[in-house]
Amino acid sequence: MIRYLAESQRWLRLAMLATGLVVALALPWLVYPPVAMDIAVWALFAVSVDLLLGYVGLLSFGHAAFWGAAAYTSGLVAIHTGAPYIVGVLAGAVAAAALAVPIGYLSVRRTGIYFAMVTLAFAQLLYFVANQWRDVTGGENGLQAVPRSLFGVDLSDPFYFYYAGLPIVLLGLAAAWRIVRSPFGRVLMAIRDNPARARALGYPVDRYKLLAFVLSATLAGLAGGLFAVNHGFVSLQEVYWPTSGKVVMMVVLGGIGTLWGPILGALLVVQLEDFLATSGFDGIGIVTGSVFIIVVVLFRRGLWGTTSHLISLWRDRRRPPSPRPPDVDEPSLARELEKA
Amino acid sequence: MRRTTTVAVAALSAGALVLTACGGRGGPASSGDTKISGDKIVLSVLNDQSGVYADLSGKNSVEAVKMAVDDFKAKHGDNAVTQNIEVITADHQNKPDIANTKAQELYDRQQADVILDVPTSSAALAVANVAKAKKKVYINVTAATTELSGAQCNKYTFHYAYDTYMLANGTGTTVTAEGAKNWYIVYPDYAFGQDMEKSFSTAIQGAGGTVIAKDPTPFPNDNFSTFLLKAPGLNPKPDVIGTMQAGGDLVNLVKQYNEFNLRDQGIKLSVGLMFITDIHSLGVDAFAGTTFTEAWYWNFDDQNRAFADKFKQRTGIVPTFAHAGNYSAALQYLEAIQRAGSDDADDVVAELEGHEFEDVFARNGKIRAEDHRMVHDAYLAEVKPASEASGDWDYEKIVRTIPADEAFRPVGQGGCTL
Amino acid sequence: MPDGTDAVVNFLQQCFNGLVSGSFYALLALGLAVIFGMLRVVNFAHGACYMLGAFGAYILLVEAGVDFWLALLLMPLLLGVFGMALERLFIHRLAALDPLYNFLLTFGVTLVLQDLVKREYGIQSQPYPRPSALSGSVDFGLFSYPAYQVFVLATSLVVCGAVWYVLTRTRVGMIVRASTERPELTRALGINVGRWVTPVFGFGIALAGLAGVLAAPMRAVNPLMGADLVIAVFAVVVIGGLGSIFGSVVAGFGVGLLQALANLYAPTLAQTLVFLLMAIVLLWRPAGLFGREEAPA
Repeated sequence: MIRYLAESQRWLRLAMLATGLVVALALPWLVYPPVAMDIAVWALFAVSVDLLLGYVGLLSFGHAAFWGAAAYTSGLVAIHTGAPYIVGVLAGAVAAAALAVPIGYLSVRRTGIYFAMVTLAFAQLLYFVANQWRDVTGGENGLQAVPRSLFGVDLSDPFYFYYAGLPIVLLGLAAAWRIVRSPFGRVLMAIRDNPARARALGYPVDRYKLLAFVLSATLAGLAGGLFAVNHGFVSLQEVYWPTSGKVVMMVVLGGIGTLWGPILGALLVVQLEDFLATSGFDGIGIVTGSVFIIVVVLFRRGLWGTTSHLISLWRDRRRPPSPRPPDVDEPSLARELEKA
Repeated sequence: MRRTTTVAVAALSAGALVLTACGGRGGPASSGDTKISGDKIVLSVLNDQSGVYADLSGKNSVEAVKMAVDDFKAKHGDNAVTQNIEVITADHQNKPDIANTKAQELYDRQQADVILDVPTSSAALAVANVAKAKKKVYINVTAATTELSGAQCNKYTFHYAYDTYMLANGTGTTVTAEGAKNWYIVYPDYAFGQDMEKSFSTAIQGAGGTVIAKDPTPFPNDNFSTFLLKAPGLNPKPDVIGTMQAGGDLVNLVKQYNEFNLRDQGIKLSVGLMFITDIHSLGVDAFAGTTFTEAWYWNFDDQNRAFADKFKQRTGIVPTFAHAGNYSAALQYLEAIQRAGSDDADDVVAELEGHEFEDVFARNGKIRAEDHRMVHDAYLAEVKPASEASGDWDYEKIVRTIPADEAFRPVGQGGCTL
Repeated sequence: MPDGTDAVVNFLQQCFNGLVSGSFYALLALGLAVIFGMLRVVNFAHGACYMLGAFGAYILLVEAGVDFWLALLLMPLLLGVFGMALERLFIHRLAALDPLYNFLLTFGVTLVLQDLVKREYGIQSQPYPRPSALSGSVDFGLFSYPAYQVFVLATSLVVCGAVWYVLTRTRVGMIVRASTERPELTRALGINVGRWVTPVFGFGIALAGLAGVLAAPMRAVNPLMGADLVIAVFAVVVIGGLGSIFGSVVAGFGVGLLQALANLYAPTLAQTLVFLLMAIVLLWRPAGLFGREEAPA
């Protein structure tokens, strides 16, 4: 998909973008509005994780720390200052970024799987802190009655709030897009593919990784802050590790390193959960876990990635294969996605 | 080539749209048209059907509510305000954000007139805010937080069955009054545990006892040896350990309490929050002699036993307080509609406020107008050893009845302004 | 209980408590480290396997009347077989890829296992009695301690010691260690590294199962008993050093000890202690206390 994107025409990208916008604008008509906003914020959250996973090669299994910290911050700002919701959401994003600096600094020293474990452990630390810090977070009861206001405009109907919150989500997605397509983004991908070479070329690899980590956390924070305002409360669930697992699942399901994939993954997972909640079906973990296993083992590119790979295979079947440079030794996520 | 790709991409998005449309019912909330036709009453049960509270309440609470509907119809016959009564349910999976969304959906999309049950304090409070915003009735049966009738109370929210104050006060006061003056309290270090500890300490001191020491424990935790081993060494030696742990932690603590033979050393065990399902899962003998406050017990008197039999025929299990509580809440709600002649939320609230009643769940029951706290007689229970049980699920011996006006937090102390 | 030596007695009792809970950390960290060493896979499902060990013991007792001692032998074997099957069927397929995929795979396995058990047995804790032979107390002079917990500590020390012995003194152990540290070189010497992968994975899972059976009589047996624990074990392994088996065991006992002491002297810190320690170790020695620095990547 990455290779594919690089050679695609501009108008095709515009077409995809247009389709995406249409879906985004029409969503609250098709889906229960609070769920529509949920899909949007989870999509941004998933994209933030994909930014790290697909483009830097770092699996953060503790991103709930940023989502949750931002949610609490946004909620507290809304409750204590009554400022327009945007202020709270931005404050949340700032809080997430601030939190990401020390965590990132300690985490990027390790790579690959180590990084995943360390981020998971830090998120767990935050969970216990949030639990203890009851005066601020409400502890087990959660932070309740988070208001939402915008200079007197009534936002209580979730249908209209969706349109108030959508621009924030779109901005975040656009930012992710820009980061990936910038020179900075290309360095990140170079680091992902061959860190030794990047270092040899003189790039301060750890600093780039840290910056990417902070940017990713900021986007997750933007999503989390909006989530808090949408639901009107924040609970410990938002900083608990299964939330980190859920967003990773969305990314894997949708397709690592595609940005569109995580959006699709978010849509599917949120809808699935909503459906299972009313259907009375008693095996949510089995379904999600099995789907996850199947995707990881058989469809590593995820839904979006597999689809576009199949399309490009079909498209290229008439063309002779172009010569490719020999693989360098270290396997990397992107290369594996393009192999087999 | 480009066209096929675009078509494929468009198809994918369309497919996604179709998928969402399958599940969704979108569009803006019909403004103004939220009044349900008086011809149909919809009772909804929002609870945990797959997690920690599934056994305590869960799907069987829906059955309990259906029993209430049947009994209501049977009692009023043709004079019932309507025969068209529906019971629906949703599973919030112990996740407050799902509870929040489902509550909105139940009120908006499924014309629910009332939401019942809702365990887990964070979910319970979230739904209270939804009820306030939607101006629809909400009767919480299984959450413990006193906030529902305290700082976060609102006109449309009622708190039924129990809360942390009732539990702590019941056990703390009664056990101290019965002779256990010196207490060592162990509590999990989070909102629920801290609340319970405060209430317990107040109750104990109010009854003339002393809290010798109190220790917060990590939550969750599986090794309570530190605390349990400390107990015999305290000076003066405590007569009883008060534990506020719940669920798996309680199980761990009780196992270890037995391991260290503290009962033989003269240190009894009182539990802040215990459900009959906990006793069942750990085994009676592990808990034998333990005291706790119970909201309702099936084997207390003939009326309870009759209800339990009917319930068991329907569901195969003996009812817990949650099931009986849901039955009662549904019944009282329907009776309030009957009296008001309408299911308009404000009318029903007016009928519920101040209402005094007796039913199978509530003895000396009253719904306080000041804070919407339903008060009733509570019971101090002691776990029987297996040898004394008269049958399946006969785990408890009711030692004392705590009258309704003593059992709950006095009006005005919770910070509720209605 | 003597009054004057209270503080000392409390301290000693606490140390003992710490070593007991450290036993579980150590056994689990050991299994995780062994698996990682051989396969470069971080097994998220380690907590679920621990849970299966405990639940298996419970099921064996209830369905087949198998007592604790037999379960202690049987469950690790069964889980070892389960582990080997898991490796052959799934883990093996992703072995050539970035280990993140296997990490994700084991995460999916965790969800499925936990939910399967929950569907069958509910989320409530199941009762599992202590074996009658160990139901008393052991008197250590200054204090007495439940016999079962002494047994747990002794068993885990013996098992960790045995694994250490096998790794350092036997041919099998040397092959495993060589495959861990220098896989290509080992292969070049003509040793078939591949055939040891599956048994070693199975062995790691068996260790988790053993920890589970040991836990059943003293902890709540429920489907989520391993869920939060595994994350603490990750932190333990990071502290010890992911590549170091010795480090994992030492860190396991150490963290257990420190956590128990924190419970006594600074309870608010106790929950977060393992993660704070991890943060400190990452600052001071990023490779872990006993780990070796990886090639900068």
